[in-house]
Amino acid sequence: MIKLQNVTKIYSTGEVETTALKNVDLEITEGEFVVLLGPSGSGKSTMLNVCSGLDNPTSGIITIDQDVISSMNSKELTKFRRNNLGFIFQQYNLLQTLNVRENVEVGREVSLNPFTVEEIVEKVGLTQNIEKYPFQLSGGEQQRVSIARAVVKNPKIMFCDEPTGALDEENAKEILGVLQMLNREFQTTIILITHNPSIGVMANRIVKLNSGEIVDIIENKNVKNASEITWG
Amino acid sequence: MLFRNVYRTLKRQYIQLLLLGVIITLSSFMYTVMDYAIVGVKEPTDQYFIDANQEKFSIKTLDLMLEDDITYITNNCPAVTEIPYTISSLKAINESCYYDLQEYRISILTSEYPNIFLELREFKDVYFDYGDVSYKIRALKDSNDINLSTIVDGEKPLLDTEIAVSEMFAISNGLELYDTITIQSTTYTISGFVLFPDYSLAVFSNDLIFDNKTQTPALFSNTEFESLNATIQFELAGEYNNDYDDDIFKTEVIDTFHDRNLDFVSSVVLTINNIRSGAIYADLNGGRAQSIGLSLLISGIALMIVGIMVSKVLNKQRGAIGILKSLGYKNSEIALPYIFFIAIMALPTVILGYYLGYLAADPMKNMFLLFYLLPANPIQQSALTFFISVITPFSFILGVSYLIIIRMLRQKPVELLNPEVSSSANIITKKVGKLIKKLSITSKLQHLLLYRNLVKFAVFFIGMFYAAFLIYLSLGMVGIYDRMLFDYYDNTSHDYIGYCDYQTPCIVSGTQEKVLELPSALLDEEEVYIVGLNSNTVLHPLYDKHHNIITSDIDSGLVITKSLSVTKGFRIGDNLTLQIGDNEITLRVEGITEEYSGNKAYYNIEDLAVFIGQDASHFNTVYSETPLDAANFMVVINTQNILEQAYSMQQFFNVMIYLMIIVSIVIGAIIIYILSVMTVEDNFYNISLFKVIGYNDKEINKMVLGGYLTYGVLAFLLAIPSAIVSFYAIEILFAQFYDLLFPIQFVWWHGLIALLIYFIIFLISGYVAKRNLKQISLQEAMKMYQI
Repeated sequence: MIKLQNVTKIYSTGEVETTALKNVDLEITEGEFVVLLGPSGSGKSTMLNVCSGLDNPTSGIITIDQDVISSMNSKELTKFRRNNLGFIFQQYNLLQTLNVRENVEVGREVSLNPFTVEEIVEKVGLTQNIEKYPFQLSGGEQQRVSIARAVVKNPKIMFCDEPTGALDEENAKEILGVLQMLNREFQTTIILITHNPSIGVMANRIVKLNSGEIVDIIENKNVKNASEITWG
Repeated sequence: MLFRNVYRTLKRQYIQLLLLGVIITLSSFMYTVMDYAIVGVKEPTDQYFIDANQEKFSIKTLDLMLEDDITYITNNCPAVTEIPYTISSLKAINESCYYDLQEYRISILTSEYPNIFLELREFKDVYFDYGDVSYKIRALKDSNDINLSTIVDGEKPLLDTEIAVSEMFAISNGLELYDTITIQSTTYTISGFVLFPDYSLAVFSNDLIFDNKTQTPALFSNTEFESLNATIQFELAGEYNNDYDDDIFKTEVIDTFHDRNLDFVSSVVLTINNIRSGAIYADLNGGRAQSIGLSLLISGIALMIVGIMVSKVLNKQRGAIGILKSLGYKNSEIALPYIFFIAIMALPTVILGYYLGYLAADPMKNMFLLFYLLPANPIQQSALTFFISVITPFSFILGVSYLIIIRMLRQKPVELLNPEVSSSANIITKKVGKLIKKLSITSKLQHLLLYRNLVKFAVFFIGMFYAAFLIYLSLGMVGIYDRMLFDYYDNTSHDYIGYCDYQTPCIVSGTQEKVLELPSALLDEEEVYIVGLNSNTVLHPLYDKHHNIITSDIDSGLVITKSLSVTKGFRIGDNLTLQIGDNEITLRVEGITEEYSGNKAYYNIEDLAVFIGQDASHFNTVYSETPLDAANFMVVINTQNILEQAYSMQQFFNVMIYLMIIVSIVIGAIIIYILSVMTVEDNFYNISLFKVIGYNDKEINKMVLGGYLTYGVLAFLLAIPSAIVSFYAIEILFAQFYDLLFPIQFVWWHGLIALLIYFIIFLISGYVAKRNLKQISLQEAMKMYQI
């Protein structure tokens, strides 16, 4: 479904050039739960950016289904993200002037085939808080709202950039559980970035990155539930 | 190092700081220019009015011969065998009797009010053409006690071939001392430039023309004044003793003269309420109040923006300030660079505003003197103006900045190091959110993102409202002279008006029409100009506001002018008492003619003639389409003169209109620009997130900037009723204070033009904001930031 062929990304800052990704090749199939693992500066975020069309690669080809997103212009990429992708970040990026229902509505409004807000809010366990504003929620609850905002679009692929980075273990496991449930229930492809190796146990595959290169790909035959993760 | 950091931080926002500087400079400029210009005129003016013994009030007396006057003439002027029906005509028959009668009237007044002193003020209006231009001169007879003429250059006219005119009239027409001008075939040498304290504004009628190029008050030798071929007109100039002031005078004289046996008095007006002498007081005091008000408004907007900007800049520095605090820097050490750089930026802007204002004060003062006939002093700087214009706004800006910094520095380092948690869902956003919950998210965010920062919203709304009001006000003045004069003369065909000489019968021929004009009649005790017309008149049909001819109404009652209706409150259906001499009749107001140029009432000519005791065929004026032979009349007026003057006044108003529109566009554009750029910055991460989710530029633009468009339009719409109410208030104030109609008007297309201007401002100003919006990268959403 997602195919990276010889993808390189070089950042230029003044006279300094930094290679963030070097000739990366990778294929991710539909409905797969993939964890991108690596230390800071390994190229995880760059890989997520180019895979999701948030950034263009310097060279190489990225294909999602039949669409070559590496050659799309800004307008085409916007349309592609709108119809196919969902995003979750470490920070929740909720709009403080909107309540939970309205924040989720922000994701729903641009989608062609969305779920209902109530359905998704229930899935993430926030039905009781649907009229509350972000500042009235805990960090974990706020992250659930951001997941709901991404999922309500009914995206084919979800990109999650350190979604548990700002949470304690208990809340982090709950959030991962929600993602796993979405992956299993809606067959949503999930690509999750983390520097926490323990999370890898719930993925189908673990892609290890270092210095912009894939150093290892581990097939996980024994996928565990999020609640079973031993926090590292 | 701290100084360098603050410098670089502020440097990055140079465009916004520059525009902010423009607003601060504008505010300081406005105050300085108006203050110095007004002081430059006011101080010498006050002294001049004292030296020239300006009248404290003036009394208009009827030109009509009343029963008491007739008795006086019968008893004291045996030489007058046939008593005319106007006092002015008496002068032509028997000058000595005329002056005795005037003295007699004055003695009645002074015995009724012993605290006043009166002097007869005589004048004549003389019309003449020079080249292609038509001129009007108000020749004032030199007085002995009150309203003394003042020669500012040259000498008083001593010879019958000399004249003194206003300096502005001479300058405007390229004339110098000892040049000659020809008036009614007599050539006069300009012996001097003259000022009259009762004519600080050259307004000689009710048509609001005060154009110093085509009209001037003038002084002739006394013998030449008497021989000028024009109707003598008169008023009484007055002053009171120390027992009175304006307030006491009003209560004891103005409010009582109607109840005394003073039928010959038509009005008593205090100098400050007389437009020809009082407008300067209103302008100087009003101008000062206006400049303070305008500066306060602009300063208020500027200071609110300063507050927002300083707050934003400092909030961006939270982390840096937190680190400095944790390193052990004292609050004062951290605050100092910020205060220093804000002072460095603010001081030049206020000083620049002050300096530009000082430079512009002289031209501004000269602009006053284009219209006001007054002496002026060179502009001199004053410590008080400097203080108000420079020190006050400067201190205020520093004060606001200091408070914001101190408030932030009171937080603990650990709080500063953590990102600020915004609790921006304030009570208003929650309430509004509920009200608009049925709207789409895109539309909802348009409103809610604006309400997040109420100060910013207030700045925007007040600024737009003010800009809209200025635009409506300036557009309201479009065509003011059309309404006052052009429309009236377009509807009539009498290009020439001939006033019959009392001693020589008038000749009427061809299409010329007979008219009976009586300049001082009383209608419900208000002085009006009554005109007797034939209801079949072709040359002077009367139109109502729907442009229907209503001339036939004069056969059954009165048709009054729009200005009489507004200034005196008369309406259709009112039964009014018309009084001329001792004759009284009650007449119904049958119609209101769309005429603004004076307090006139029209009545059937035959009925009017009979009413004043004359034969039904009596008339004293001739209207004509074609030129009249001046030899057959006492005075012939070409209405083209009036139209040319009106045209020149309209030109002046047009310049004012354009200036006001430009000022409002500049204010509006700066506010929209600064706020829209700020909004893009404030919503940096939101915008990035919207982009990531898949919202396109159009949708994001609508959410982030669309609110400005919606609320800007709302401000422009709300300004409409305010403008209409203000225009009505201006009309009433003018009517009450000066007995004049100032027909400033709002029409529907003003709204359209104002909205069009706003859309253009919004599109241009929003362009840069949109460019900034496009530049926000998608990855910003990934950064650690709490919105």
